[in-house]
Amino acid sequence: MAGPKASSQSQATLSHTVSTLWKSYAHKTPDRLKFVDVFLTFLVLSGVIQFAYCVLVTNFPFNAFLAGFASTVGQFVLTASLRAQVNPENHTEFKEVSPERAFADFALGSIVLHFFVFNFLG
Amino acid sequence: MISPTSFCLSWLLIVVAHAHAASLSIQSPRFTITSSDASQLRADTLSLTQKPEPLTLGPSDVLKLTFQITETGEGNGVQPHQTFLRFYDTVSGEEGIQPVRVTPGGKAKFELNMARPPLSLPPTTDRPLAVSLILGSFIHDPATFDLFDLSVPSSATPAPHPDKASFHPQPPIVHTFHPEQKVPPKVISAFFAALVFAPWAVLLGLWSQVGVRVPHLLSPRILPFTALLGAFEALLVWYWVDLRLGQVLLYAGILALPTIFAGKTALATTGEWRAGKQ
Repeated sequence: MAGPKASSQSQATLSHTVSTLWKSYAHKTPDRLKFVDVFLTFLVLSGVIQFAYCVLVTNFPFNAFLAGFASTVGQFVLTASLRAQVNPENHTEFKEVSPERAFADFALGSIVLHFFVFNFLG
Repeated sequence: MISPTSFCLSWLLIVVAHAHAASLSIQSPRFTITSSDASQLRADTLSLTQKPEPLTLGPSDVLKLTFQITETGEGNGVQPHQTFLRFYDTVSGEEGIQPVRVTPGGKAKFELNMARPPLSLPPTTDRPLAVSLILGSFIHDPATFDLFDLSVPSSATPAPHPDKASFHPQPPIVHTFHPEQKVPPKVISAFFAALVFAPWAVLLGLWSQVGVRVPHLLSPRILPFTALLGAFEALLVWYWVDLRLGQVLLYAGILALPTIFAGKTALATTGEWRAGKQ
């Protein structure tokens, strides 16, 4: 029977692929981008836990849930766009946008986002 | 105490008034009940002192009532100013008043056709209606005669008015409120609070592993910008705790000016450093 053999083979390929991807990420990604990636991971975890709490336990008070969840989602979007713009590999794509300009956008966007989020906090 | 003279005077007045206001009576009152095919079902004269057996009318029968109104004693007919037949249900209190036309000679004829009952007939049940004759006059004493009891087919229940649905009292509005939302048990709250804080540990742990150095954070060109960004966040926290919208917009507007300048300086500096590095 070829089935189990094939599947174990594909599993091995998959794990190989994943480890290659991880190594490549660990070695080739600049530390600053890793720094941003960690923040993005934090935001994802935070948002998922808040959403799980809302679904599993209660959505009361709903405005606080909206504020918390919207802040993680919004911050994720802003940070992801910052990461895309400051990534040296995307330099050709964002010729007019210097990393400083991107950071200024990020800071302004974050302040506006936090303003709205605090409005919802109640 | 009444004086003898005044007593005599009042007695005299009563006698005079009585003599002046002659009373009315009715002569030869008679009723006939005929069916719709004109056959006579019952006919009799009425006695004013004793009511006859209750009269019964079928759904299409006709009652005819004739009498003459005369002055008591004299015998000549008079036309009273008002002549009414009153149909009265003693139990429900419903009554109907039907004017009767009287000739100058005092003769009166009344016809009640149950195929087309008059509007003045009150709503009826299986109980008989007490029928009485009421006479009113300016120059005679008023008179009432109880004539007979009359059983008529019970009336249909009145049709509801077309606007009744709009105008009858509506049922009272009862507000049902959403039940008060409950705070989950403290254990669960504490567990999830810890869980929500857990990503901070991940964040700080991974950041320490990545180990990005920020050598210029305390540089005089960078620090004001970071401090002002921190001030913005502090302002928003203050807004949450205490401030009103107008105040926060005012303070943010004031804070924005130095932040813009500090940001321009700081980012220009980092740009130069970046260019220098490259």
